[in-house]
Amino acid sequence: MTLRLAVLTLATVAAVWPSGRLAAQDSQFGIRGLGTPGKLESVRARTTGGAFAPFDAFSPLTDAVLADVRRMSASFTSGASWRSVDASGVQSSLHGTRFPAMVIAGPVTRRIVVGGGFSTYLDRSFGVVIQDTIDLRGVQQPITDAITSDGAIADLRIAVAARLHRRLALGLGLHRITGSTRVNATRTFADTANYRTSTARDEVAYGATGGSASLLFDVTSDLRLAGWFRTDSRLRADVGGHTVAENDLPLTYGTGLQWRAGAQASVAGSLTWRNWGAVQSIANAHDTFNWSVGAEIGSPASPFRFGLRGGQLPFGVGKTPTEVGYSAGLGRQFSGGRGRLDIGLERLQRSGTGLNERVWTFLLGLTVRP
Amino acid sequence: MTRQLAFLFLLAAAACTEQVTAPGSCPNFCPTDSINIRDTIFTTIIERDSSFRGYVPSDGGEAMSVADLPGIVDSRAFFVLAKAATRVTVKTGDTTTTPIIPDSVRFRLSIVRRDTLATNLRIRVYHVPITADSTSTFASLDAAFNGPVVDSVNVSGLLASPAFIDTVQADSLERRFYGDTTYRDGGGHILAVRDSGRILDLYFHLDTLQAPVVEADSGQLGFGVRVAADSLASIALGTNEAGRPPFLQRFFHHTIPDTVSTQPDSVVSGNQTQTPLFDSFVFDPPSPALDSNLAVGGAPAARALLRVAMPAFLHDSIDVVRATLILVPVSAVQGAPSDSFRVLARPVLADLGAKSPLGTNSTLYGSTAIHIGASDTLNIEITNLVRAWSLDTTMATAFIIGQVPEATSYTEIRFYSSRAPAFRPGLHVTYVKRFRFGKP
Repeated sequence: MTLRLAVLTLATVAAVWPSGRLAAQDSQFGIRGLGTPGKLESVRARTTGGAFAPFDAFSPLTDAVLADVRRMSASFTSGASWRSVDASGVQSSLHGTRFPAMVIAGPVTRRIVVGGGFSTYLDRSFGVVIQDTIDLRGVQQPITDAITSDGAIADLRIAVAARLHRRLALGLGLHRITGSTRVNATRTFADTANYRTSTARDEVAYGATGGSASLLFDVTSDLRLAGWFRTDSRLRADVGGHTVAENDLPLTYGTGLQWRAGAQASVAGSLTWRNWGAVQSIANAHDTFNWSVGAEIGSPASPFRFGLRGGQLPFGVGKTPTEVGYSAGLGRQFSGGRGRLDIGLERLQRSGTGLNERVWTFLLGLTVRP
Repeated sequence: MTRQLAFLFLLAAAACTEQVTAPGSCPNFCPTDSINIRDTIFTTIIERDSSFRGYVPSDGGEAMSVADLPGIVDSRAFFVLAKAATRVTVKTGDTTTTPIIPDSVRFRLSIVRRDTLATNLRIRVYHVPITADSTSTFASLDAAFNGPVVDSVNVSGLLASPAFIDTVQADSLERRFYGDTTYRDGGGHILAVRDSGRILDLYFHLDTLQAPVVEADSGQLGFGVRVAADSLASIALGTNEAGRPPFLQRFFHHTIPDTVSTQPDSVVSGNQTQTPLFDSFVFDPPSPALDSNLAVGGAPAARALLRVAMPAFLHDSIDVVRATLILVPVSAVQGAPSDSFRVLARPVLADLGAKSPLGTNSTLYGSTAIHIGASDTLNIEITNLVRAWSLDTTMATAFIIGQVPEATSYTEIRFYSSRAPAFRPGLHVTYVKRFRFGKP
């Protein structure tokens, strides 16, 4: 009964939650780019620094790992972040709650598993307030601009994984990148007697398609190797039915290695490359390289996880912004293994020219196997 | 486990608050596009502008202008009171009437505008023919206004005399709150200060020679008013339209020739009031004929119709934050400072030329004050109107400028029209260009 309730809650929340909340983790670095790339990781993977993502069926990073799913299962990830921003000495504190990933998968035959779900591809929720004084009709006029964007670009995935051999699994995924942002630009004047507030509102719809492929190779019974590749079409931005921008999206490829050091310990590491520099319409776009290492210790019913990640962010003036993160968490199975609750805490530090961000994120994940 | 699960969901729900707005660190960490403002004076978009006269006649105004400004204007008010009973019925149910015997008259004029700096301000009352009407001119009434003075009063003198305070309404320091302060002189004149000093009610005590009952005229009387002062001799009198018309109250008595009842030959007192059937004013020189310029004001009232050829981009790609109509006066308006007035720009519901119906949405109006003697370029803020035009392409992009209130004064202002290229009306628009959403 508890499990059914949990599944029902999960499905309901996933169905009705507005797309603007399907974001991963905002960053001021994404404002001048296409957005902040989401983390395609479940809570389990994220608390290992992301290192377990290629080997975790409920992380939407790779498709081949779905072959490990033996029963119909669903997983849901949420996170609440508290972010402090230091932009050239200007401090601000921001916070938000996000639901960055959901995966549902189940076997259709003994060798083939079909899965799907959503994840955040790019987060585009931000708001900036700019105060200035401009010369209007020969008079210095104080003004306040507020530009806000609320929404995200989601990655809807349908994937199939097949176990080709006892040691080899292949996964293929089809991606529909879609989403919208409600955008608002408001200028208010200190002289409200003579000047009216200017407000522009619109909704930007985004769309693209993509494909992914991945392989999972068990080198030995304890050592597993993963590799993945993904390509996407150009990202189209439409306002009022008219295309206002088309931007290239990066090729993504990566590899990961997992070692099971006995029944109660696993260690993994992964590397990911994305050629964001190919987004030619953005002056300060950079290729990114990200790495992560992490471990899971303890019984499968209640493991302890920790991890470390590092790498780069795609958008930022000057040198490529960097990101370093530490995370840890716990998992707990319940209802005889039909459900699992994962919690975690993540600390991220992002640095770039003129901007530093520090983020605490509380992660909560629920996986159910009805 | 159920409790733990519920607790965690509650925790997650409690954390569902958003704060994503931070001070911008521009340009590096702000959107590529910014809110772009432009300021442009459109010098040629006002076109096909014209003036028309006759909207409100001088007998339809909310005030009657009375002025004597040498070299500028001589304005005189006049009015004809309604008929009054000259006989009364002495017994209910009986058709027998008896003539009234006038005793005295209390006569009121309301001064609704004056120059407080005027010195030795005198008001003189004249008889005018009861045949005076809207066709009467300054010249046709000149003889009456140069005839015998019915009564005169020195308003400045009255105001300088000791005041009588309404002690019921005033406080212990004799400061007036809602009560009236009154002044009186030896000639039976009483001056009551109303409305915190803005309105003066001037009462005359007239006798039967000054306000005779002429049975042939059915008790009708016509009066004219002139003003004089050492300087700034300009006032306005209230009219029927303003709810403060000249007002005459006649006190009389009559005798009941009773031969049968217990009330033999008794004397009965009574009174009756008369208000104007018609009130107006005439002035010399009269409002000049319309020419190629844009005339606003005067009597009968003139209005200017201005049409705006809105550029397409003002309709669909911008947000107007300020719009100012620029008008260049042909010359300064002459008169006393208290003759300053407002002009009001009102949208038309449909452009039907001179007979265009006016919009009643007051939020779209624009107005400004016209100061006597000032010849500066005139700016009228019409931001809301231009914003409305920008948003609604079905609106008629035309507006009418009129005086407020109309036909209460000889004052009239003239602006250069689009036929004077160097001084034609312009529209100063400050607008924000459409933000380019969707671009990184």
